[in-house]
Amino acid sequence: MFQLEELIIQFLLNFVAREELNAFLRDPRNTATLVGALIAVCGALLGTFLLLRGMSLTSDAISHTVLLGIVVAFMVMSSLFGREPSLASVWLIIGAAAAGVATVVLTELIYRSGLVKQDAALGLAFPLLFALAVILVSRFVDDVHLDEDAVMVGEIGVTWANTNSHCLDQCETVTIAPDDARAELTRQCTNCRELGINPRDEKAEFTQICTNCGEYSPAQAWQAGFTRTEPALVFWPKSITVMAVLTLLTLFAVVLFYKELKLSTFDPTLAAALGFRPTLLHYGLMVLVSLVAVGAFDAVGSILVVAFFIIPPAAAYLLTDRLPRMLAYSALIGAAGAYAGYDLARGSFLGLVRVSDLLTGLNDLFGLDLVEQWDSSISASMVLMIFVFFMAAWVFSPKYGLVSTTVRRSNQRRSFDNQVVLGHIQHHQGIAAESDELAVSTLHGHFRWSPAKMERVLRRLQAHNLVQFEDDFISLTADGETHAHSFRQNQLTNETVVE
Amino acid sequence: MGGAARARRRELHLKERTAVSNQDGVGIRQADVVRVREAPVQETPVQETPAQEAPAGGAAQKPASTALEVDDLTVAYDSRPAIWDIDLRVPEGVLMAIIGPNGAGKSTLIKAALKLIPRAAGTVQFYGQPYERVRGMVGYVPQRGSVDWDFPTTVLDVVTMGLYGRLGWLRRPGQREQAAAMHALEQVGMQDFAERQISQLSGGQQQRTFLARALVQDARIYLMDEPFAAVDAVTERAIISIMRELRARGKTVVVVHHDLQTAAEYFDWVTLLNVEVVASGPIGETFTADNLRQTYGGRVAYLQDAQRIAGREEL
Repeated sequence: MFQLEELIIQFLLNFVAREELNAFLRDPRNTATLVGALIAVCGALLGTFLLLRGMSLTSDAISHTVLLGIVVAFMVMSSLFGREPSLASVWLIIGAAAAGVATVVLTELIYRSGLVKQDAALGLAFPLLFALAVILVSRFVDDVHLDEDAVMVGEIGVTWANTNSHCLDQCETVTIAPDDARAELTRQCTNCRELGINPRDEKAEFTQICTNCGEYSPAQAWQAGFTRTEPALVFWPKSITVMAVLTLLTLFAVVLFYKELKLSTFDPTLAAALGFRPTLLHYGLMVLVSLVAVGAFDAVGSILVVAFFIIPPAAAYLLTDRLPRMLAYSALIGAAGAYAGYDLARGSFLGLVRVSDLLTGLNDLFGLDLVEQWDSSISASMVLMIFVFFMAAWVFSPKYGLVSTTVRRSNQRRSFDNQVVLGHIQHHQGIAAESDELAVSTLHGHFRWSPAKMERVLRRLQAHNLVQFEDDFISLTADGETHAHSFRQNQLTNETVVE
Repeated sequence: MGGAARARRRELHLKERTAVSNQDGVGIRQADVVRVREAPVQETPVQETPAQEAPAGGAAQKPASTALEVDDLTVAYDSRPAIWDIDLRVPEGVLMAIIGPNGAGKSTLIKAALKLIPRAAGTVQFYGQPYERVRGMVGYVPQRGSVDWDFPTTVLDVVTMGLYGRLGWLRRPGQREQAAAMHALEQVGMQDFAERQISQLSGGQQQRTFLARALVQDARIYLMDEPFAAVDAVTERAIISIMRELRARGKTVVVVHHDLQTAAEYFDWVTLLNVEVVASGPIGETFTADNLRQTYGGRVAYLQDAQRIAGREEL
């Protein structure tokens, strides 16, 4: 991981100065947006396939149960190696992936018993695993940094502060030994606790210990004042590396196995018949979902990561009929949501409205006393903004949106009304009863329509030059004749396509 | 509008019909299971006789090699057999219907042959080889309802999927595959719909898309699961003419079929199935009232049993 960061930094320094890079990374907005966008891309790529497989909520289950994998791996490692593994350790990630797969397997087993339905099976499996994880955390690994806040919403706002320091120049590592002049020595009572006595007690025995001995990285050495010249440092947030690696991995997998994923999602039976392994692909997908859930755990917590998996693909589904575009759109929507979400958390809605102004307005209007200072959870705000984008797609999508559907329906209704009238006239023209059937003043009665509606339709037909009036009688023009005829031909004989 | 309405009406009609035969099917199966449990050894050979002899007779008329051979195939859902001890030989170049009531195991037979569901016992060979060796020679048309037609993709893309097996892992379909898919769409008269989103297709067009997807595989034997389900008359005629064309090119086509009225007209070979094979062979010899009664009229078999038991008591 460390070497990888080094490589990325070296690469970036070809384009920007070190100071600029540090300034960029130190800005919480940049780091939070970047990490959020990377999670969004992973979530979009995998979530699209989950959505199309009808298993969106599996991401919810997995994002919770990976905790069990982390905790179990943590416990095994502490007992085997006697040391506390870091939260980014490879074994913890493997444990998390295993827990994700275990969730799916357990769900499948419960479902296959035939006694519960699929959604209930999922609902049975994941609270169980999550509960086990919580019990293990609270009972055995109390001191681990895993508090409820972190599990709920994560700490994307402070990812900028959790960094690895990389030294480029003037690098001087310092080792302080007890005999060093710079060592700070102090006495410590060795038997005080054992005997339950005060260090001032005469029976107390002392030993000399060094409080600042050990190895110092260049950054630490500079900070502690052991070195004279300032090293050239880059502080690189760890979350960026984790999420960048996961994004690359996800992208690689989805691009490489695009064809196989598509086929096994659309038609798993054919995929199996053609010799592809839908089950294998299925679990591969679950492993990736687990890995992303773990990686995102730090940043956005286990609940909100679900939003990144589900909402952007759901929005993209409304915007396009092509899978590649759906993948791209959902990644874009997720990333845009991450960007706009940071602004919202800091009090600005899409740069259009300041939330505090809104609250002041509400206070003035209703005599409320809402807090006007606005500084809220970043990850929650990101989810909110992704949802706003989803709503926009839901209402304004050119094909499936609320607006276009309503417009299309009313157009269809109008055109159908036109056809009904044209058809009626065509049917009755030149028949003895014509005078009654085709009198403008009584026409509405034949359709059981209101006179107002009848008038609207007739005016429309006249405007299109499809009908003509002669005294109180109505007849088709040549155009109208063709129109009515072709409608009859098309609608009543051919196999039609549902548009 | 008219076509859709007609398709709906037809679907309703089908539902009514299958509801009736379904009752029969359940009746038979329970009877069969009971009978098998009581005396499997004595009973099975009696049932098997027509199944084994008919294809042998057919092979004498047609000196073709065997396209599909099923031996002792049993598939069970839980402990209940879905198909029981199937022995079947389908000669190459025939257009064969698998006919039987709902729940008779028609789809199960096809899926088990393709190893899509686990077999409890038995072997299946295509041209003398296990399925894994000859995947490319076998084209499969699943039931239309088995996929989500709202999936974001085009007709051409779905047809191209038929070539994925030949491409294998990782290789992407290119120009050549697109052209082949387009050609298959032309064969089923769907070339104008190539770029259309699949959710915009009518039922018949969906079925033709599936058919094109199988055609593009250029297989030697095609297994089709209810291709005529809920399609209108025009599509049905189009599908059957494609099947006949396949047969004319020496291909073997096995079709799960529901409509007894059209069976004799459409097919030249038939397997009557009701958990067990009742009869299998050339349509003229096999598609008899007696065999059909045995396949559909579960109570007939049950009654014979009852008579047999009653007769023994008299003795």
